Amino acid sequence: MSKGFDGFGACYFDGDRPVPQEVSLHIASGVLQIGLDDGRIIRWPVKEIRRLPDRAGRDRTLLCRAGDPLTRLEITDQEMLGYLPAVRRRVHSVRRLRLLAWGLAAVAAVWLQLLYLIPLLSDRLAEYIPPEGERALGEATLEQVRMALDETGMGALPFCDAPRGQAALDRMTERLAPGSALPVPLSVSVLDHPMINAFALPGGQVVLFRGLLELAETPEEVAAVLAHEMGHVARRDPTRHALRSAGSIGVLGLVLGDFAGGAAVLFLTERLINARYSQLAETEADVYAREVLRQAGVAPTALALAFERMRAAAGVQEDDGEDGVIAHFLSHPSLSARIEAALRDPLPPGTAQPVLPVADWLALQSICEG
Amino acid sequence: MRVDFVGKRAGLFWLALKTALLTVLTLGIYRFWMKTRLRRWYWSAIRPGGHGLEYTGDPLEKLLGFLIAVVVLTFYLGIVNLLLMFVSFSVFAASWVGYVASALGIVPLLFYARYRARRYILSRTRWRGVRFGVARGAWGYAARGVAHWCITLLSLGLLWPRMTFWLEKYRTDRTYFGSVRLVQGGRWVMLYPATIPFVLSLLGLIASLIWIFWAMPVVPDWVAFERDAQRLFEEIAAGGSPVIDLNAPWRLGLLPFFAAGLLYGAIHYRWVCKRILANNKYAFGLSLQSRLSGARVAFIYVFGNLIAYLVLISGLVLLAGLAVRLLGLDLAADMLGAIDAGELVLPGWIGLLSFVMLYLLIFALWGAAYSAFVTFPLIRHVARTTALPQTRGLSSISQRARDDFAEAEGFAEALDLGAAI
Repeated sequence: MSKGFDGFGACYFDGDRPVPQEVSLHIASGVLQIGLDDGRIIRWPVKEIRRLPDRAGRDRTLLCRAGDPLTRLEITDQEMLGYLPAVRRRVHSVRRLRLLAWGLAAVAAVWLQLLYLIPLLSDRLAEYIPPEGERALGEATLEQVRMALDETGMGALPFCDAPRGQAALDRMTERLAPGSALPVPLSVSVLDHPMINAFALPGGQVVLFRGLLELAETPEEVAAVLAHEMGHVARRDPTRHALRSAGSIGVLGLVLGDFAGGAAVLFLTERLINARYSQLAETEADVYAREVLRQAGVAPTALALAFERMRAAAGVQEDDGEDGVIAHFLSHPSLSARIEAALRDPLPPGTAQPVLPVADWLALQSICEG
Repeated sequence: MRVDFVGKRAGLFWLALKTALLTVLTLGIYRFWMKTRLRRWYWSAIRPGGHGLEYTGDPLEKLLGFLIAVVVLTFYLGIVNLLLMFVSFSVFAASWVGYVASALGIVPLLFYARYRARRYILSRTRWRGVRFGVARGAWGYAARGVAHWCITLLSLGLLWPRMTFWLEKYRTDRTYFGSVRLVQGGRWVMLYPATIPFVLSLLGLIASLIWIFWAMPVVPDWVAFERDAQRLFEEIAAGGSPVIDLNAPWRLGLLPFFAAGLLYGAIHYRWVCKRILANNKYAFGLSLQSRLSGARVAFIYVFGNLIAYLVLISGLVLLAGLAVRLLGLDLAADMLGAIDAGELVLPGWIGLLSFVMLYLLIFALWGAAYSAFVTFPLIRHVARTTALPQTRGLSSISQRARDDFAEAEGFAEALDLGAAI
């Protein structure tokens, strides 16, 4: 039983010379016979014939024989495909073990880098950055923050610096100084923005927002937030964070590549990894803040009051929103846990002293009205 | 011998969309398969003498190459960037020095990766069953690339064609088809005519800048203009048409005109150089001819990108509308303004997930539109304008050995070079 096919336009490439050879095509007893002009007949068992995938143009089909990487048969008679049972199988063989080995090595390299080497190195190096460098970096970053937050588009967000308010703020900083043991001199300023927040920058820059001063009902709450930010300065968290993201952004960009919308994924992953470190940093800054407050004669429970008020202002009732998947992306640990920790740490009764006289507190509250 | 191009745009669009969706669903892993499948399609659509090219690259070897590159490069990118940043902070007290140094450090690596990627792609390309190939020499290429860039910068760009020619000659003279080696003939000065549109636009731009702002300023009295600016704006906003003392303001239209000319000039230079260089390439008993049109390529770039970006932007606008409708305005604003917005409550993370998926889907559509309206017409134009006037040498060519290098185009892939296609 033999079946012939239209060999017009079909050709055979011997895998050595780039010269097409005309052919006649027959299938007999499960073997494709490729007859060449010089009388030779090439025999390919039909079960070993594969079609090369994803080819444009339906008029010609390229076939090969499994295990033979070089020779090719190009056919025009599409009817023949019906007689080839295994054309759809894979053409290439895979070396799985090697792939697996390099895959594991790559995962290990990235994991080692992101979770151990880069954090370790940045923690060490942060100790050696000279104070001037750190300070210049902090100032440059502060400029960027002021530019970014400015909504008028006409320049940088202004500082609040009414002289009496600034004096009150300096007094508060001095009150907290005894227990602080900072590596660099501190400089505290207030930005004219309604955000309820505060942050620390490299080189001992601490910035409070107007929104925070407006929200606080006692100077102790402001002092608590200030002490917390001093904790970040003492640990050099901002500098370490800047170094760490310089390293990890490069590595992550490499791994995630440029597939659709990769930038968004890059951003989320960077957050996820950094959140782990900053949660630890926040907790330690809280511990530090409680110690500084205690030494200054201020009840560490003020920290709890400040957090409580921030939470109420943010409109989050309980913790149900922040313990799920989202919590991993947030850089701060659960607020409830931080509040509870602060409440467990009261001063002995009768030892607390006001952190600022009433007149100073009023001046601080109107620091933006200069 | 003519070069045909077969294959329909619709077929390519579906292949591109299908593979892009799979790439999204697999968080990027499928991109190696996507690249391979698209290349198989393009290669087979190009038919010199009626026989399609064959792309024999394998997705798994690309994945392997990528993994190798990741192992090597993570240490470079992670540790070296960190150290550079440290030095930048402590010595220069600014971060930009670190960024610049880090970018400069990667330049030789880019040349290296490009050469390796080209070597990989050609070694996986066959025509009539015979392999193409490129000899080793990636570090030599990187060294020459850096040197030529320095010379070009020192000459203020005047010697750019010299760089284009010698780098192309380095690549071409190491390229083989089977047993025969290609040769890049000609001289570097032959590329100067390709610079004409760019140079004319540049001169036009400079001349009009001088004319508009210095020789015969549009605003004759700048001090008065600045003083009255506030009042003038208010009058215009109130619907009035105040008399402004301007000197032939229509001349400002020259600036976008010449800027567009610069863009065209850049595209023209790149592709017309390819034509001139192709017309001077030959091998034993073989020659190449190209009738590529710089204007046609520029047209494809402009309109193809226009369509692709229309798809992207309309998709994103649609998505933003959907987000506002489904999630409420506040939350949508929070999400767009980064997740930093504090302790926010989500209506279950299914909503977020489907939002992210939709977002990625739009990028998949954009990629497919780019393939169908930029890459496809570009390759078709190049194929149809190419011919092989002399083919006597074909019968004396024989197969070359397989170039078995493990890292495929891993470095190029990892460094986002895209390797052209």
